[in-house]
Amino acid sequence: MTFEEAPVRTDQLTIRYGRKTACSVISLQIEKGSVYALLGRNGAGKSSLMRCLLGQLKADHGSAFLFGRDSWKRRSALMHRVGFVPEQPDMPPEMTARQLASFCAPFYPSWDEVGFNERLRRSSIRPNARTRDLSRGQRGMLSLALALAHHPELLLLDDPTLGLDVVARKSVYDDLIGDMADRLTTVLITTHDIQGIETIADQVGILKNGELLIDRPIEEMKATFRLLRYPGSSHWAQASPTDSPNLFHTASSRRRLDSMEVVVDDFTEAKFERFRAQDGMEGAASETMSLEEILIAVTGEESEQAS
Amino acid sequence: MYPDIQVDSRDVTPLWKQIEESIRRLISSGALLPGAPVPSVRDLARELRINPATVARAYQRLMEARLLIARRGEGTYVSVSPPVMEKSERLRLVRETAQRYAIAAASAGSTEKEMLTEAAAAWRRLGSAERGEKK
Repeated sequence: MTFEEAPVRTDQLTIRYGRKTACSVISLQIEKGSVYALLGRNGAGKSSLMRCLLGQLKADHGSAFLFGRDSWKRRSALMHRVGFVPEQPDMPPEMTARQLASFCAPFYPSWDEVGFNERLRRSSIRPNARTRDLSRGQRGMLSLALALAHHPELLLLDDPTLGLDVVARKSVYDDLIGDMADRLTTVLITTHDIQGIETIADQVGILKNGELLIDRPIEEMKATFRLLRYPGSSHWAQASPTDSPNLFHTASSRRRLDSMEVVVDDFTEAKFERFRAQDGMEGAASETMSLEEILIAVTGEESEQAS
Repeated sequence: MYPDIQVDSRDVTPLWKQIEESIRRLISSGALLPGAPVPSVRDLARELRINPATVARAYQRLMEARLLIARRGEGTYVSVSPPVMEKSERLRLVRETAQRYAIAAASAGSTEKEMLTEAAAAWRRLGSAERGEKK
C-alpha cells in the first residue's frame, strides 16, 4: 500500500488583515474522496481559508498543504491538480466560452476538450456566446465546466450555487456528483445552500469569527445533536452540580412561554432516559435536527447563547 | 423512472443504511424482481442528490449479502435467486430497525402498549407478498 498525502491539510493556520483575524489557528484535514462542507456566516473566514489553500494568500502563522505540499511555496506545481470555482466568477465580458477554454487549456496537460464541450451543451451555452451575454446560472456552469475540464483531483468551490435558480442549482449538483462518481474527486465547498449540501457532504466544518467551532463527520453530528424540549423555565446550567451526570452539553438554549428548548451536542438515548427520570422531566422530548438547524444553534444566530 | 428508493435527510439513520434498507424492502416486496437492473451508483446519486460514495457503500453491502450482483461493464442487478436470509442476519436487521422504532416512539412520548399496538397494526397493513407469504 502506498502512503497518500491528504488532499487538504492545514496546521494551525492563522490569517490576519491588519488587526482583524480572518482565520484563527485552524487545523483540519480532508481525506481523498471526501466532501467537506465549510459553513458559517459571511465574514466568518471561509473565503480567506480558500484563498490561502489556493496559494493566493500567505498565512501569518501555520501552514496550508495540498497533497502534502505547501500551497504558498508550491502554488504553480499544485494548481494543475486543483479546480476552483470562485464566489463571483469574474470572466472577461468580451470573451466567449470557446476563447476562455483556449486560454486555459495550454496550462493543463490533462485538459478534456470533449468533456468541456459536452458540459456547455448540457447547460445550453453556445461556445461563441460572450460571457457578458450569459445568464448568471450559465456563468456559474461555465465556471464549473472550466474548473472540471482538466480533471482535478481536488475541487474548491466557493458558494457555487449563490444566486442561482433551482434549475441551475440542479445542474451544478448533477455535474458535481457525476464527477465525484467518475473520478473520486475530493471537494471542499462553502455554501449558503445548507439543505442542498446536507446529503452530499460527509464532513462539516463550522467557522465563526475565524474559529473552527465544529469539524466532524456529518453522520456523527446528526446522531449527537438534538433539540430537547421540557416544561419549566430554567436551564440546567442553574441545577446543582450533583445532577451533572444526567445532563448534556449545551450548544444553545432558549426560553419559550412555559418551556425550555435546549440544543445539545452529546445526545445518547441512555443519557436521555436518565434525564427524563429526573423530577419534573417526564414530559421532556427530543427532536432530531437538520444541518441548517445545527448551524444556527452552533453559530448563535437567532438564539441566545447559553451561559 | 427508478423504483422507489428514497432517503430522508432528517432521519438520523445514516443515508447508506436508508438506501440499503430501501432496496431490501423493494426486493422482499417484489417491487424489484430477480434479475431486474438497479440504477448505477452514478445515476442514483444524482437522482437522490447524495454522495456517490454513500450509494456505493449501500450497494457494496447488498452485494456482500448476495442480494445484488455486479456484471462487469454491464451494471448491477438483483440476484436471480436471492439467498434466503440467515436467521442471525434476519434477527440483526429486525432488531436494529425495531430499536430505532422504539427510540422514535419513546422520544415522541408513547407508552409501551401504544408502541406495540402500532407495530402490530403496521404488520397487518402489509400485503401478503410484503409479508413474504406464498400465494
